[in-house]
Amino acid sequence: MIQISDDIIIKTLARVLVPFILLYALYVIMHGHHSPGGGFQGGVILGASLVLLVITHGLKDTQKRISEKSVAIFSSLGVLIYAGIGVLCLILLGNFLDYSKLAILLNVPLAQARSLGILGVEIGVGLAVMAVMFSIFCNIATGGKQAEEDND
Amino acid sequence: MSITTVLAVLFMVGGLFFFTTATIGLLRFPDFFTRLHATGKGDTLAVLLFLVGFCFYEGFTLTGLKIVFIAVFMFLAQPTATHALSRAGLRCGVKPWMKKEDKK
Amino acid sequence: MDTFFVVIGMGLCILVLFVLYRVVYGPGVFNRVAALSAIGNKTLIILLIMGFVYHRVEMFIDISMVYALLNFIGTIAASKYLEMEGSIS
Repeated sequence: MIQISDDIIIKTLARVLVPFILLYALYVIMHGHHSPGGGFQGGVILGASLVLLVITHGLKDTQKRISEKSVAIFSSLGVLIYAGIGVLCLILLGNFLDYSKLAILLNVPLAQARSLGILGVEIGVGLAVMAVMFSIFCNIATGGKQAEEDND
Repeated sequence: MSITTVLAVLFMVGGLFFFTTATIGLLRFPDFFTRLHATGKGDTLAVLLFLVGFCFYEGFTLTGLKIVFIAVFMFLAQPTATHALSRAGLRCGVKPWMKKEDKK
Repeated sequence: MDTFFVVIGMGLCILVLFVLYRVVYGPGVFNRVAALSAIGNKTLIILLIMGFVYHRVEMFIDISMVYALLNFIGTIAASKYLEMEGSIS
C-alpha cells in the first residue's frame, strides 16, 4: 500500500493543482476537432491526475473518494456510450456508427450531426480510458492484493 | 523591427544564457545537492524568461494567454519537484560533499 | 526571424547532448533523475520553437502543456518510489 507522504508542501500543491488538471483534460477531449487531442489523450491526462492524488495522499485516503465500485461503473459507462451510439445508428436504418442517420433524431444539418456523433464517442472513450488507467495503477501498486484486503 | 520584437529577442537570449550556465553547473559541481541547486533554479528561471519572450512576440491573443498559463504552472510545479527529489536524496542517505581539511 | 529561432533551437539541442553525459555517467540514480528533469525542461522550449518556425503555434501549445504536466508527475513519482527504499509498502 502506498503510504501517505508526510510533507506538507507536496500535499498542498497536489491538492491545488488537481482540479485544474481535470479541467484541462476536459478541454483536450472537447477540442479534438481543432487541435491535437481527442478521447485517448484526454483520458490519459484524467488518469494521470488521479495517479498524482494517489502518490501524494496515499492509497487508502484516495479510495475513500473513488471506490473500486465507482471505477468499474465509469469504465462500463464509457463502453456503453460508445456502443450505444453505434447501435442507435443501426436502429435508425444505417450502418454501425453511421452518424449521418442521427440527423433525423436531432433535427440538425447533416454535417453537424456527424460532428456531434464523433464528440459523443470521444467522451465515452475518455471515461473508459481514465477508469482503466486508474484501476491498473492501483492493482500493480498493491501487487494484486487489493481484493484480499477488502475481504478482511 | 518593432519594439516588441526587440524585447522578445532580448528575453530569449537571456533565457539561453541561463540554460547554458545551468548545464555547466550540472556537469561540473561536485555533489548531488549542489547539482540540484543548479538545475532547479537555473532551469526554472530560463524557462520563465523564454516564455515571457514568446508572449511578447505573440501579442495579446489567445495563444499568448495560454503561454502565460504554462508559465504559471512551471513556476508552481518545478520547485516542488526539486524539493521532492532533494527530500528523497536526504532520506536515502546521500552524503553531502564536505571541503577537505588541509593536512598539516 | 526564422533563422534566429533555428539557431536558438540548435543551441538547445547541443545543451541536451551535454546533459546526456550526466544521465549516462551520473554515479547513482538520483543524478540521473535530476538530469532527466533538466532534459524535459529543454524539450518543452524546443517544442514551442518548432511551433514558431512552422508558423503553427496553436497546435504546439497544447502539446507542450501536456508535456510539462507529465514531466512533473514523473519526477514526483520517481522520487516517491526511491524514498521508500525500493518498495512501495
